[in-house]
Amino acid sequence: MTRAMSKIILGVIVAGMLWFSYSSVSAVYPFNWRSLARYYKLFIEGIVTTLQLSVIALALAVIVGIVVALARDSKVNLLRDAGTLYVWFFRNMPLLVVILLVYYGFGSAVNIDRFWAGVVSLSLFEGAYVGEIFRAGIAAVPSGEKEAGEAMGLYRSQIMFSIVFPQAFRISIPPLIGQLVTLIKDSSLVSVIALGDLTMRARQVGTQTLAVFEAYILLAACYLFMTSLISLVGRILERRLAIP
Amino acid sequence: MTERNVILKLSNLSKSFDGLSVLKNVSFDVKEGDVIAVLGSSGAGKTTLLRCINNLITPDEGEVFFKGRQVERTRQSIRSFRSKVGFVFQRFNLISHLRIVDNVALPLVKVNGMKWADARKAAEIQLRQVNLGEKLTSYPSQLSGGQQQRVGIARALVMNPDIVLLDEPTSALDPSLVGEVMRVIRRLSSEGRTMIIVTHETEFAKHIANRVIFLKDGEITADSCPTEFFESKSDDVTEFLTDLSAIV
Repeated sequence: MTRAMSKIILGVIVAGMLWFSYSSVSAVYPFNWRSLARYYKLFIEGIVTTLQLSVIALALAVIVGIVVALARDSKVNLLRDAGTLYVWFFRNMPLLVVILLVYYGFGSAVNIDRFWAGVVSLSLFEGAYVGEIFRAGIAAVPSGEKEAGEAMGLYRSQIMFSIVFPQAFRISIPPLIGQLVTLIKDSSLVSVIALGDLTMRARQVGTQTLAVFEAYILLAACYLFMTSLISLVGRILERRLAIP
Repeated sequence: MTERNVILKLSNLSKSFDGLSVLKNVSFDVKEGDVIAVLGSSGAGKTTLLRCINNLITPDEGEVFFKGRQVERTRQSIRSFRSKVGFVFQRFNLISHLRIVDNVALPLVKVNGMKWADARKAAEIQLRQVNLGEKLTSYPSQLSGGQQQRVGIARALVMNPDIVLLDEPTSALDPSLVGEVMRVIRRLSSEGRTMIIVTHETEFAKHIANRVIFLKDGEITADSCPTEFFESKSDDVTEFLTDLSAIV
C-alpha cells in the first residue's frame, strides 16, 4: 500500500468515526450552529489576540532563550548558575501559576495590562524551554569548526556569530516550531485573567448562545488549524534552510 | 647560498594533561622555506606540539617567537600571529553551513576586513590552484575527503601565511585520496612555502621535507635531514620505522 493510499484510508476511517460520533450525540443534543454564526467576529478577535500574544511572546522568549543559553554556556560561574536557576524555576512551575503570579501578584504592586501580563508570563516561561533548545543547538555544532575559527584568528564573538549561531539556529528550528505550537496551546491559559484570547471568546460565545458544545468544537478546530499551519510552515522553513 | 632567516623559534615548550607530561622542553628553530616533518608514534606529542605553536592549546611553559618577536599570550597578539600562520586540520574542520568559496573567504572577511565580493574572488583563485574551481558553490558535505582537505589547505593559504602547520593532513583519508592531497603539499614545498607537517606518512619525510624532527614521549630525540634520519641507527628511530613498516 502506498503512503498516499494509507493516508486516504485513514482519512476515511477518521471522518467516518467523527460522523458516527456526531450523529450519535445529535440524537440527544440538538446542535445549533446557526446561533454561533452571529458571533463569528468574536472568534476572529480571539484568533487575532491569540496570534498576537503568541508571536510577541515567542519573539521575547527567543531573546530570553538566547540570553539563558549563553549564560548556561558561559565560563563565568555566576552566569552559568544564574542560567541554571532560571531554567530550574520555570521548568518546575506550572504556567498557570506564573500567569497568576504576574497578573494578580505583581499586578497588585504595579498596574499591568492583561495582554502584557500574558505576554510577560508566556515569554518568561517559554524562554526557559527555548534556552534549552538553543543550548542543545549550540552544543551540536562540531567543536572542530569552532577550533577552525580560532585557528583563522577570529574573535570569540565572530566565531559565535559566523560559525556557531547560524548552525545552532538551523538545528533548533524543528524543536522551536514545536515550542511555538506549545506556546499557542499554552496561551489558552491566559483566559484565566479574562484576556480576550480565542479560548476566552469561545467561552463567552458558548455562555451567551447556550451552544457550548458547538463553541468548543469550533475552538478545538481553530487551535488545530493554527498549530497545523505553523507545523507546515516550520517544515517548509526547515527544508529551505537545511545544510546539504 | 644565502642564509635563510629564522621565522619561528620555539623555546622550551612544555605541556601536561592531568599530570601527564605530553611535551617536555621542546625547542627548535624554523627557517624560511623549511619543510619540517614531525614524526613519532601515536601519543608522542606531535599534535600537541602543533597546537601549542598557534595557541589552540596553551603551553604550560615556554615561548614562541615569530620573526624574532615573542608571541604574547594576549588576545590581540595571538590573533595577529594566527592570521600569519595557516593551520590544516586532520579532519578538515570546514564550516558546514558555508559554501566552499565562503569557507575560504571567511578569514579574509573576518580577520582582514575585506568585502565579501573581493574575498570571494581571492578565494576562487586559491581554490582553482588546488583544482577545485568547479566546486565553488558546493557545500563541504558534497565533497570527498580529499577535496575537503584541499579546501582546508586553500583556506590556510588564502591569508598568504608565512608558515603553514599541517596536522596529519592525510590520515583521515581513504588511501585512494591521499595522492591528491600529497600532490598539493608537494607543490607548496616546491614553491618554497615554510611548513611543519605532523604525519605518519614517511613519504612526506622522504620526498617533501628537508628536515625531520622525531618526537618520543614529548621530547625531541632526533632532528636531522631526511637522509640522515632514515639511515639513523638510533634505537628509537629504528623501532619507530620498524613498527611503521609492519603496519603498512
